[in-house]
Amino acid sequence: MRAALIASLLPLLGLAAGCALLKPVEPPTVEASVELDAVPFFPQDRYQCGPAALATVLSATGLPVSAEALVDDVYLPDRRGSLQAELAAAARRHGRVPFPVAAGEEALVAELRAGHPVLVLQNLGLDSLPRWHYAVVVGYRAEEAHWVLRSGRERRRRESVRAFRRHWRGADRWGLVVLPPGQLPAVAGPRDVVDALAAAEPVLGAEAILPGWTQASARWPGDADLAFAAANGLRAAGRPQAALRRYRQAIANDPRHAAARNNLADLLLAYACVGQARAVLAPALAALDDDDPLRPVLAATAREIEQAEPAACRLENTQEELQP
Amino acid sequence: MLSRILVVFQLIVFLAATAALPARAAVVNTGEYLAAARAEQSLGAAGAALARADVQAQLTALGVDPQDARARVAALSPAELAQLNARLDELPAGSSVLGLIGAVFVVLLILELVGVTDVFSGV
Repeated sequence: MRAALIASLLPLLGLAAGCALLKPVEPPTVEASVELDAVPFFPQDRYQCGPAALATVLSATGLPVSAEALVDDVYLPDRRGSLQAELAAAARRHGRVPFPVAAGEEALVAELRAGHPVLVLQNLGLDSLPRWHYAVVVGYRAEEAHWVLRSGRERRRRESVRAFRRHWRGADRWGLVVLPPGQLPAVAGPRDVVDALAAAEPVLGAEAILPGWTQASARWPGDADLAFAAANGLRAAGRPQAALRRYRQAIANDPRHAAARNNLADLLLAYACVGQARAVLAPALAALDDDDPLRPVLAATAREIEQAEPAACRLENTQEELQP
Repeated sequence: MLSRILVVFQLIVFLAATAALPARAAVVNTGEYLAAARAEQSLGAAGAALARADVQAQLTALGVDPQDARARVAALSPAELAQLNARLDELPAGSSVLGLIGAVFVVLLILELVGVTDVFSGV
């Protein structure tokens, strides 16, 4: 009875005492501290934490850039702030690949250990009265259980685990890892990596992104989309034999990958391997729905195969089935 | 009104330009494949062109130089473009904790004192 009374009063006490009596905060399960001292600092001007945070992570990749130079890339004067999508787009325009960070504190520490500072969105206000703010996580001190951020006008802002968690959760734990092409985040899923590299490819160019595709495909050899994208990049780079192997890998991973079958058939056809092209394309053409957006492309490839003159195939190992 | 006319004009220019490109119908590039595979991003080519022009007009209306707006929109992914086109006004614009006014300031000051927020220690 008494216990119940005390329990019912606890929330009130907690409020009065600044929430100090709420249940204790579990720090992330991390043993050792990590801090990236070399990450530069750009003290922000009024409202302009977006350009400052972006300059911080771009500079950390060795790019000489100032926060002022990024204002015209990301700042929205009438909103007095910057949008998340525009920070990612601006990173691409400066030749870097932005990846969404995995939404967990252990993932943040893993990125820091890999030398990657993380640009995060924080809500410093309330859910109903948000104050959005960008900062860059550069360290976690395990012994004091606090995070270290480049934030606002503070080079080394320290936030307790409780405060940081509230600020970050209030912004859906959104963050970006910004890397030179060819490097991948420490923690990520293949789907996020596919989307991040594909978004960067039209801006940075196929040649710049190719190392990213091959690295990602090596990290997730069983992912059909990554093998397909790597194959497209290899073909564009004039490496048909390597592209052939990657297309085969994509199809071995997912025999129903119609786009991989189509592009492999087109590659085989370009090197006069007509019979092989027909054999690769047939199952995809048979399995595709009539209203599938890829259908016109596959039909066009099939027509080209039927019109092709017989000739000697100029690729090696065209029949080889690679295991994932 | 003027921005709508501009959008339509840009769309016509875009469609004319893309129609003139030599078609290479037999290959599916990575971006096209993902647009088809990720249903939520599939605006279609004409839809994407319209969204691009529309977001560009919105950025210009928010005070961005038209030349900058064009370059900024060009670097957005199809998913980001669809997101901005659907709800640019509601998306968080990270800024800073300076420049609070009136009642908002008083409310936040009280919340700060009881430890609920960290607005004033933020900067």
